[in-house]
Amino acid sequence: MVYSASPLEATATDIASQPVWVVGLHRNDPATIRALYAKHFPAIKHYVLQNSGTGNDAQDMFQEAMTVLWMSVKEGRFVPDAEPGGFLYRVAKNKWLDVVRSAAHKHMKVVHDDRALDHRIDAPDDIEERIVRLRGVYDTLDDKCRMVLDQFYFERKDLATIAAGMGVEEESIRTIKYRCMMKLRGFRKAISGEDMEEA
Amino acid sequence: MSQGVLDRSTFEAIETYVLDRMSALDRAAFEQRMAGDAALCAEVELEKENIRAVELGGVTRMLKEIAAEGTVSDTNMAQGGWKQYLKYAAIVAIVLSGSLWLLRPSANERLFAEHFIADPGLPVAMSSTDDPIFADAMVSYKEGHYAQARAKWSPLLQKEPMNDTLRYYIASAWLAEGDAIAAIPLLEGMVDDPSSALRAKARWFLLLAYVRAGESAKAKAVELDTDPVYGERVRAIKAQLER
Repeated sequence: MVYSASPLEATATDIASQPVWVVGLHRNDPATIRALYAKHFPAIKHYVLQNSGTGNDAQDMFQEAMTVLWMSVKEGRFVPDAEPGGFLYRVAKNKWLDVVRSAAHKHMKVVHDDRALDHRIDAPDDIEERIVRLRGVYDTLDDKCRMVLDQFYFERKDLATIAAGMGVEEESIRTIKYRCMMKLRGFRKAISGEDMEEA
Repeated sequence: MSQGVLDRSTFEAIETYVLDRMSALDRAAFEQRMAGDAALCAEVELEKENIRAVELGGVTRMLKEIAAEGTVSDTNMAQGGWKQYLKYAAIVAIVLSGSLWLLRPSANERLFAEHFIADPGLPVAMSSTDDPIFADAMVSYKEGHYAQARAKWSPLLQKEPMNDTLRYYIASAWLAEGDAIAAIPLLEGMVDDPSSALRAKARWFLLLAYVRAGESAKAKAVELDTDPVYGERVRAIKAQLER
């Protein structure tokens, strides 16, 4: 068998030479995510507003584009430029054009549609499919599991800090984390079992 | 294993591997085990996917929170007349005053700023020919051009990832720019090396990096309390973190 597994995290050496924002996204750093939001949202809002959308539409498109950027960086799927603005703009714009062209929005008028120029779209479709699939997995968790797992795996807090914040023993958090991850595992096993039966 | 229950110790071993928290020795042993165990490989992939799903949930939540904090409604201002503008003026005033409050450095940031001094760097002889790239980067570092220094040192680190001098000075450059998150993995990889002459210095910077990153529990766990150079400051910082 060919061994192909690799750690989820980039190693220190991998990321030492990367732009600061790439390092920040790898580490789910809130300051990095906020800074990217503040810097690049206005251009996308301008585009969506100019093309019959609302501020809320712009927020939705930008958040989707940010998620694609985050996932692409995490998965090492593209070599990022020094600035992610162009990537975010293209992904958000194409997503908005999909909305505008959908049946529910046929009345909308697109001021600027140079999508043909953007067909060298940076985000491969499978990244977006992967996001949809992983969201489906996350949706199976209850609130308690989300609270613990989010703090441990996303915010990177240690067990002692999570336990102190929730007013319980560290060992309880460790047990909850294990049980919640086993729930996800069970769900995934059930899904893969169904897939095999269908096949 | 893949069909039945996954015991906690195996789950946690996989987790440690997936989160890249294994020592080099343990990692090599674990990968060797994986090479001959298809079921273990499948579990690693599954756990990696599940952790990614949780992270995705986290980033989605955070993006919504950011939007909720800063959203200004896009309703047509003209419909509401001048009263609408008063409403927005009030929101802006509240946001501005809130921002000033929020922009205050946190207690941890203040603690970091109080104690962190970038390493002064190594002496560089004008005629240095042993390693001119390293020496050139050190000059940039000493002039305070930290990004430039890092850019010059990074290719050297890629060739010698375990070089403690490179790791230490690149980490020092990151910290000097206030980026503790980037410095932490570099320092974590060298603080347990008993052969490194920079071990105590690296522990001191790692403690400060944890403080800056808000990882108080990890900062308190750094063992440097009895160090003749840093011990007193370490104890003072830990006492402050207890408050």
